[in-house]
Amino acid sequence: MPPGRIHPLSSAARDMAAIFARMGFGVAYGPELEDEFHNFDALRVPADHPARDMQDTFWTKEDPRRVPRTHTTSVSVRCMEAMAREGRTECRVIAPAKVFRNEATDATHEAQFYQLDGVAVGPVGTVTLAHLKGTFEYFYRAYLGPSAKVRFRPSFFPFVEPGVEVDVWYEAPGKEPRWLEVAGAGMLHPEVIANCGLDPETVAGFAFGGGIERLVMIKHGVPDIRGFHAGDIRFVYGFDPAAA
Amino acid sequence: MAIIQKASRAWLQKYFDAPLPDARTLADALTFHVAEIEEPASPDSDLVEVNVLPDRAQYLLCHRGVASEVAGALRVPLARDPLAEPLPEWPATDQVRVTLGDGANRFIGALVTCVTVGPSPEWLRAALESVGQRSINNVVDATNFVMLDIGQPLHAFDAGKLAARDGGYAIEVRGSRAPEAITVLGGTTYELPEGTLLVTDANADGLPIGIAGIKGGEAAQVTDGTTTLLVEAANFDGARVRATAQRLKLFTDASSRFQNRPSPELVAYGMRDVLALILDIAGGELVGVTDVYPQRTAPAPVSVPLARLNAVLGTELGIVEASAALDRLSLPYAVTGDGASLTVVPPFWRTDLQVAEDLVEEIGRAVGYDRIAGAQLPPPGTAPSLDRFYGIERVRDFMLGRGYAEVSTPSFAPEGAIGLENPLQQDRPYLRASLAPNLADALARAALAAPRVLGPDRFAKVFEIGNAFTADGETLMLAAGVAALNGKPSEAAAALREDLDALEGELLGMPSMAQCTGDRTVAELCLEGVNLEKLGAGYAPEPRALGPYRPYSPYPSALRDVAVWTPAGTEESEVANAIVGAAGDLLARLDLFDRFEKGEGDDARISYAFRLVFESMERTLSDADLDPAMECVTAALNALPGWEVR
Repeated sequence: MPPGRIHPLSSAARDMAAIFARMGFGVAYGPELEDEFHNFDALRVPADHPARDMQDTFWTKEDPRRVPRTHTTSVSVRCMEAMAREGRTECRVIAPAKVFRNEATDATHEAQFYQLDGVAVGPVGTVTLAHLKGTFEYFYRAYLGPSAKVRFRPSFFPFVEPGVEVDVWYEAPGKEPRWLEVAGAGMLHPEVIANCGLDPETVAGFAFGGGIERLVMIKHGVPDIRGFHAGDIRFVYGFDPAAA
Repeated sequence: MAIIQKASRAWLQKYFDAPLPDARTLADALTFHVAEIEEPASPDSDLVEVNVLPDRAQYLLCHRGVASEVAGALRVPLARDPLAEPLPEWPATDQVRVTLGDGANRFIGALVTCVTVGPSPEWLRAALESVGQRSINNVVDATNFVMLDIGQPLHAFDAGKLAARDGGYAIEVRGSRAPEAITVLGGTTYELPEGTLLVTDANADGLPIGIAGIKGGEAAQVTDGTTTLLVEAANFDGARVRATAQRLKLFTDASSRFQNRPSPELVAYGMRDVLALILDIAGGELVGVTDVYPQRTAPAPVSVPLARLNAVLGTELGIVEASAALDRLSLPYAVTGDGASLTVVPPFWRTDLQVAEDLVEEIGRAVGYDRIAGAQLPPPGTAPSLDRFYGIERVRDFMLGRGYAEVSTPSFAPEGAIGLENPLQQDRPYLRASLAPNLADALARAALAAPRVLGPDRFAKVFEIGNAFTADGETLMLAAGVAALNGKPSEAAAALREDLDALEGELLGMPSMAQCTGDRTVAELCLEGVNLEKLGAGYAPEPRALGPYRPYSPYPSALRDVAVWTPAGTEESEVANAIVGAAGDLLARLDLFDRFEKGEGDDARISYAFRLVFESMERTLSDADLDPAMECVTAALNALPGWEVR
């Protein structure tokens, strides 16, 4: 029997889960169709605030309406709620999974894509912005190669403070090395920690999120995002396992 | 989405004595200090485009705001700061009466007589055009200039078009009463949903003269004949302005500012600057000002203990460094708690500074995030759980091991149980209730692509693992399909049945649950009943690393077969090399599909039959491409001693 072929996103998720597992991160799950609280309100994105405009959102025709999640940070919220219920003070998880954005598709945008969101929470002082940077440095070196470097730029995501944009220095074979914008991240806002039922005076954490397709495109040289979810085996077989 | 604030370097320069650096240096400095800047077209570009995110939009959507950040980023002081300069004492007037309803935080109305409306002076036209705005007339340009300069939206009404009673004007800000409509500047008429915040002429039965915080009405438009102005500087509730702008789909420079909730304190500074500019360039005389400000707001002090600062950033900053960072941002502070804390009294325009973490960010970005050294997290207290993930990967590995290719297909569908309010594709307005239809489609296309992608296999096999959405909830599903490439669908159905029996029986240990569809070549299985954690415990997914991607042709491939007699002892590779050497660049794939030997001794021969797959990245191939290629192949094979194309 000839061997089958894994989808590049599944292959990437395996690599990512393995790398993060070495840093103590588990893999967590949550619904793709979320309630407004877990996708937005718990993350300090109230309905009447311009922060809602940062993500183009689908809504269901339900009462109450639900949202095909715009990020898997909703999974992080659920994990922190579970921490609070179970009285734990530590949590490290990633959620490499599908998210949705209501935006026109082109070579770099799809209405559905995969995001690698994650969160690390621990007693105040044990999880810091420096740890966020160290976590990214470890991850990108393992995933993209030892020459990868990480830098932060000031940015804003409603659920973190400080918030940063993450650039990675990537030396692609046969290409000019350059800085690429790969993720958003920051230290969890104390209100978010409180919204999850935890005490921001005792625990702190970081959260991050970035598109997985984009990383796969960078690493494997995929020119157009639209192949990933087109249900086309020609795309899947376009990645050569022998050359890995 | 960020709001792009277009700033002009020449305009920013007015805030500094020292010359500003070139556009690229400026862009870099701001990008690492406060906000992403669009790549400038050239080092000489005048335009600086700042991606302003909602947290800083209360103060950064103007040249003064950008200049304040330039000062911090380049460590050069502002030569002047209009928000630090004193406000004048205006004469009060009973000729402007203002009544505010809910949603209006402050309203200053000023009456100016004897103005001359006309073209703007050249410097003003140039300033507006430098940031992509059109000059209209001196009065309107003055309101726009001040908004772009210090961020306060402003509006001028032609008082001559308002109703005067007892020699005075009466403005009321109120919610609309259905059905009400307004024609705004530019001539568009809007039917107003009940409760829309309006600026109205109370002397004219409450005639709407503006949609509060969004756009002025045509009824009191300033034109060339205007001689008396009622100038508005106001502050409206951000949520209401935002809701109205969204409902009317009317997004303006004013609405984008108000929805980000600038301080009502700014209103007076806007009035000060616009009155000075109007009197300067349009002449006239200020009669007086009415300021209604029901609830004065002032930012509360915010403190951050040094220990907290370092616990968030993972740094060891001392009080001197942290204080220097606040100095650079011109944030006034006091060292409190015996040097253990910093307390900032935010200037009125920094309404974003509310909790300690906000100060952590200010200090962090001013110090520079490049100063933060990466650190590894300590080992976790408990080992991470990946069991569910491994359980799903185990199912995936099983399917891959049975020869299936994994696909991903859209979660949006033509039919389903849960509809979308705002679908992107009108023909896919539901979330999928089943993975089977998409999989059947992927399977049909896989069968077409199989000769090119899979070669001469008997079957094309595809699967997808994903979520489906039904009235009962969201479920993790596996869909699989098999196509027979040169056999009957029943053979494909049998192969699928065998694989699913193995999956359910051998791996999952559950009774046969998979639902087959159509001709039984596609089946779907709900994985919710499977204990995935248990399945994954201790499982190590097979390494399945992938190499570089090679794009496929968007055009269909074309097939040709060739069979050739060769002398005994001829290797398959010799034939393949001969074909590859003759077939040309369009040959994309070559597969042996038949080989047999015939005869004995000197008569012994071997027949090889190959399938050639041709493909172009540029076009669909025709016989005109393939026939010459096949003639070359035939000629090349026949030319070899003892070879004969059959």
